[in-house]
Amino acid sequence: MYWGGNPAECHPRHFTKYTLMQKSKFLPRGRKDRTMILVDIRETKSGGAADIFLQIRPGKDFEVLTILRAILKGQHVNESAIAETGLTLEQLTDFIDRAKKAKFGCMFFGMGLSMTRGKHMNSAALLTLAAELNAFTKFVAMPMRGHGNVTGADVIMRWQTGFPFGITFNRGYPRYNPGEFSTVDVLVRGDTDAALILGADPGATMPQPAIDHLARIPTIVLDPKVTHTSRLARVHITTSVAGISAPGTAYRMDEIPLPLKPALKSPYPTDQEVVRRINEAVARKSHWIPDGGPMTILQR
Amino acid sequence: MSLNVINNATCTFCGCVCDDIQLHFDETRIHEAKKACVLGKAWFLNHTADHEYPDALIDGHEATVDEAIEAAATFLHDAHMPLIYGLSNTTCEAQREAVSLADRLGGLLDSHTSL
Repeated sequence: MYWGGNPAECHPRHFTKYTLMQKSKFLPRGRKDRTMILVDIRETKSGGAADIFLQIRPGKDFEVLTILRAILKGQHVNESAIAETGLTLEQLTDFIDRAKKAKFGCMFFGMGLSMTRGKHMNSAALLTLAAELNAFTKFVAMPMRGHGNVTGADVIMRWQTGFPFGITFNRGYPRYNPGEFSTVDVLVRGDTDAALILGADPGATMPQPAIDHLARIPTIVLDPKVTHTSRLARVHITTSVAGISAPGTAYRMDEIPLPLKPALKSPYPTDQEVVRRINEAVARKSHWIPDGGPMTILQR
Repeated sequence: MSLNVINNATCTFCGCVCDDIQLHFDETRIHEAKKACVLGKAWFLNHTADHEYPDALIDGHEATVDEAIEAAATFLHDAHMPLIYGLSNTTCEAQREAVSLADRLGGLLDSHTSL
């Protein structure tokens, strides 16, 4: 099942390489042994690959997911609530019947779910539905990751700090709170007073108030190209391209680490080398907590 | 003209990270990316080994990498609440260094995931 995503255009090999076409021990007939359901607010190119397309009203993802959870638990659902979603009770019941009968279900969700009205509550509702389906059969859920190694960022931060994103070290230990420590919120509130940007171009993607704040503060950009963000930054350092001219590791969206095989030699240093050298240069300066570390402050 | 070939190269354009790409390349550019999708082909063929951009810029002026690293360290060290953000189009090895830097700075650390 794909929800709020268009893999046919955004992840062109997702169907053929991973989800639909591959033949396997338990699904020897490949595509014929699988059912694909697409949920979106409009029919996209991915609709051509789907067995069932459920067109929901824009902004009603959370309602649809909550009704699906109610149907799964055999609870009564108000007819007017169903009418609001753009779907019929038959479609929703059929969805749940098929999900329960599946041997192994996988839900992939895109930014059509996670970036529209409801945002992370939508993702939470979908993850809860997937979790609750496990009372009947095996079900998992996975976000459709856009950028190359954003899954790696989650994995590395989880490994090093215990949290996947939205982290602060300002008490000397990692704390996690999306909304408070997530970048757009921090920038729009104007909380941060310097920024190091690598492997991203927020100058092209973030809301204008966030970009305005990046231009106000000293921003440092590491990127293979001079980007939108580089133009408003105080410092830009050109680095080599991961996977093309820089070696290393990248995580696939299902958290499989894969080695990179760069073909070209770059005249520029790697991100890894530059960040390591910045870290060493900072280490030569005084530590941000006075001598003795945080315990000294607490004891005073 | 004979080209070098790498089998089972890894494409990092999107989250699929396909690892079965065959790259045909010479010293400066990749000429062919077999098995890659339209997005992957564009990604591999659009990068070259040329020195297209300045090594570093400080306030819009060309600088050496050493100067830029020192300037970056000074800006980050002077800040009360420095932020390290992005970490998507880069390697796990660089991400690990970035976590270490955020820890040393007592700063904020975040990725595209929060967008």
